[in-house]
This record gives sequence, structure tokens and C-alpha cells, in this order.
Amino acid sequence: MLKNTEQSAHSAAISTEALTLRRGGNTILDGITLAIAPGSVVGLIGRNGAGKSSLLRCLTGLTAPTSGSSALFGCPSQHLGDAECARLGYVAQTADLFEWMTVEEHLDAVGRAYPSWDAGRCTLLARQLGLTLHANVRELSGGDQQKLSVVLAMGHGPDLLLLDEPVSSLDPLTRRAFMSALFAEASEETAQRTVLISSHILSDLERVVSHVAFLRAGRLQLFDTWDAILEHVRRVPLPAAFAQHALICLSNDEQHAVIDTRHAPSLADSGAVLSLDDLFVELNA
Amino acid sequence: MNYDISPHAPTPIYRQIVEQVKRMIASGQLQPGAALPSVRAVALHHAINPMTVSKAYSLLENDGLLVRLRGVGMAVAENGAVVPEQDKAAMLLPALESAARMAHQLGLSADTALKLFKQCLEQTKKDATDA
Repeated sequence: MLKNTEQSAHSAAISTEALTLRRGGNTILDGITLAIAPGSVVGLIGRNGAGKSSLLRCLTGLTAPTSGSSALFGCPSQHLGDAECARLGYVAQTADLFEWMTVEEHLDAVGRAYPSWDAGRCTLLARQLGLTLHANVRELSGGDQQKLSVVLAMGHGPDLLLLDEPVSSLDPLTRRAFMSALFAEASEETAQRTVLISSHILSDLERVVSHVAFLRAGRLQLFDTWDAILEHVRRVPLPAAFAQHALICLSNDEQHAVIDTRHAPSLADSGAVLSLDDLFVELNA
Repeated sequence: MNYDISPHAPTPIYRQIVEQVKRMIASGQLQPGAALPSVRAVALHHAINPMTVSKAYSLLENDGLLVRLRGVGMAVAENGAVVPEQDKAAMLLPALESAARMAHQLGLSADTALKLFKQCLEQTKKDATDA
């Protein structure tokens, strides 16, 4: 698990400090501390109700936390100004669209709010995703509504994208086009945009993520680079001897443990590699 | 030229690229001075993160196998392409060890396993000439 340092929190695109959200008697988010460096593509993973959408809403400032704090580009989420909003794109889980417009009118209407809006970029992205510009928003399928939400969130070329299940209704080909579009404007000279994306389609995430963040019951269970997890996190049969801090989780029957072999080098070659699917199952058993 | 990338394999994508480039250089498929596909082209083709491709190329550059050419991208280093036979053997060894374990688990005789490997070698050579 990466420990966040003061310094990384300052230069981070996204940072949270003991972020906690309670509703009624329930704890939705439980002391989440996280620092995401610019250019990272982070998969936010967890079961339904784990707190993914709530975390994204807190980051955008749409939901105020009960305690703790979060910041985007170093600016507190609750006080994002025009400058920060101009650099932010957000796709909510349920699209909030202007149903009485056509797709093109909708893009124009939202575009007027952003100085850096690029209609050409929108047209290109809509074409890549297979979204018809002259369709009426009211008549769009669930998948096409998602496509429109994605184009709306990316039309101003944001530095940071917060995506809440943006591709759940899209077919595999469109999802691939979407994944490519995330990086379409990246070049050697400009910094790559930061993306925090929640999805249950783990095979998509395996392609594009630099990091994964696992949430379970409002707590951050595991946050690391995906490469490091593939190389160092192993499922080992028990009994096995390892230091307590190497343990990530135990299976229900206590026959296996998922461990970080960087803290248990003697077990580095003995365990099984976990796919993102396997890891999801292990962490949520 | 393109890479064979399995995003869902247990080997990280950057490592898959590193290993393929090393093998292609070792075999002479990639000659000194040959340009590699751009980070952007590889990323777009496979719908993967460009930083992953960059990471692979940077590691290969650090190893002296690739050089970064201004305005051109990455190319095979002039002196990086000479790979001693023993290094080639070391690169092949992990795959052979894994095949040996599987042969043992299946109870295949050494003769049968070797004969199969020979057939594979011949088939690969034939495919390469046909192509």
C-alpha cells in the first residue's frame, strides 16, 4: 500500500485526507486518505454500495463530507472555482441531460459555458463513439445517453476526468473507442490527463489503468500501481509464514491469503498471480 | 510491425513489450537503427495507456538497447543489437522451464516432448518463410 506523504498531497491532482461521509446511521465513506499524481489513470473498484459514487461526488464538491477533506489540483472540493471547473470533466452515474434538445444543440448549450470548448473535438469524439448528432436527446438509448455524457465531459479538454461507470451500457467496440479517446490528445510534450474511473468492467480497466483503488464498505482497501500488484501481490496457501504487514486479506475459509510479497520476499515465487477479476473476488469475499 | 499484447495476461503490459523488443533485437528481426512504432500508435492500436508503452521504451533505453532520436522516436541502438548466444539462451530458458514442468505433470516422456519441440521449431520456421 502506498503511503501518502505531505509532499505528494500538495502536487497531487486528487487528494483526500481522512474523508468520511455518514448518512443516518450508516458510514458511506470511512477515513479515505489518497493522493493521486497528475497523469495517473486510476480504476476505482468495489462492489455496489462500496462508496465509489459517493467518493466521486465528494471530490466534485456535490456532496459535503461529514469530516475530513478532499481537494482537486490542491483546491478544496467544496470551493472549486471557475478555473478548477474549467479543468474538470465529470460523468455522473445517471446522466442529467436536456431532454428537449438534439445532441448537437445540447453540445452547443454546454459548450457556451467553457472558453476552451472545442466543437471539432466533440464531433470527432461523437463519431468515434457512434453517436448521432441530430438525434433527439429524449429518444436516445441508455448507451447513447452515456456516450453524450462522455462527450459533454470531454468537450473542453479537461486535465482531470472523474468518471462514474461511464461505459456500463456500451458495447465492447464502443468501450474500446472510449478507452482510446481518453488518451487521444496525449503527446510527449503535454502532460497526460488524470483519470479516476469507476467500472465493473475490469477487463477494460486492465488495459488502461496505471493504478487501482479498491473500496470496500467505504474504506480504501488497496491502492497501488497495477504493474506492482501484478508483479508482487500473490495468493498463497496457508499456513505460510509472513510478516503481518504483508497481509492484504484472508480468504473466508482461511485456506488462502493475499499478500504483498515485497514484505514477504521468501514467498515471491510460491504464490499465484491474480487477475483484476481474481483480486476483486479475493478482496470482497 | 506491431506487438503482441495480451492486456489480461499475468505479465504486466510494459514487460510484455520489453520482452518482445528484446527478443526481436536478439533474433535480428529488429536491426540496428530500425525505428520502433511510436508510443501513440501502439497505445491507440491496443487501446492501452501510452504511459505503459513509454515505460517499456524508457526501460529499454536505460538498458542501452534503444536510443531516443529527436523527432523520430525510438530506434534500435547501434551497439545494442549484438546479443551473445548465451543471452539468447537465457531469454528462452523461462519458456522451456515452464514447458518442462508441464511435460512432467502430463507424464510425457522426454523423447516425446523433444520431438514436439522440434516439430514446433520446424513449423515456426516454415511459417516465417511463407510469410
